[in-house]
Amino acid sequence: MDHEQIKTTVLSVMSTVLKCEVGEQASRENLPNWDSLKHIEVIFAIEDELNFQFPEDMLPALNSIERIVNAAEILYAA
Amino acid sequence: MRHDIVLDGPAFRLRPIADTDAAFVVALRSDPRLNRFLHATPISLDSQLDWLANYYERLGDWYFVLERRCNGVPEGLISLYDLDAYQHNAEWGRWILRPGSLAAVESAWLIYHFAFEQLNLREVYCRTVASNHPVVSFHDSCGITKRTLLPGHFVLDDRLDAVEHRVDEANWAALGPRLKHLSHRMARRIQYDNI
Repeated sequence: MDHEQIKTTVLSVMSTVLKCEVGEQASRENLPNWDSLKHIEVIFAIEDELNFQFPEDMLPALNSIERIVNAAEILYAA
Repeated sequence: MRHDIVLDGPAFRLRPIADTDAAFVVALRSDPRLNRFLHATPISLDSQLDWLANYYERLGDWYFVLERRCNGVPEGLISLYDLDAYQHNAEWGRWILRPGSLAAVESAWLIYHFAFEQLNLREVYCRTVASNHPVVSFHDSCGITKRTLLPGHFVLDDRLDAVEHRVDEANWAALGPRLKHLSHRMARRIQYDNI
């Protein structure tokens, strides 16, 4: 799975969990319904979809689509 | 009020606050990332100790420190207060977590569990500054359906609207299992990474 495929997957999962359209510029700053409960639901859903686990210390920093996609790309390749 | 209630969740624990936690409270409430929507209460160590002295004498008020079970490191604060013994309800709040904490869901679950399962309350409510969108959204995301706008409820620098979320026993029965599930799943992660 390449960068674009991972991004597409992340955006799809995010839109499903947050129940709204999510663009690649989305972040916890500009998407108020990306709250701390939805954050862990989003993370778990992405992990389930891509079959890996984000390290705990990485979780709070995954506060934008860009960061999630970049982290997911590294973990998916590992 | 002084109490000895300790509530263990999957990864976190609520324990009674003590004078030795005053510096932790001051640090959290002084953090500009966290205090935008807090009452403008004095934040010196002495004033916090005075506040705690009054709190210890106040009935129907349970103030907890939230800490990690695996190492006892404090992550935040949470309270249940304004108990109405006639109406069997109370408010929860004074909820503040260190930046980056993963304890939000579990701490909410623990305080609801305390209210409904230990105190046998019929209803619990939480009032949030309406412009504090992430926290308002958190309560919405919990699945709380009783939601009311309280115009001008909070007096900070200005009068600010509040959003009140009320959870009754039926709502707790519906939302409790989801919060519990998420708490357990997060706990497996936290415990795994700390082994």
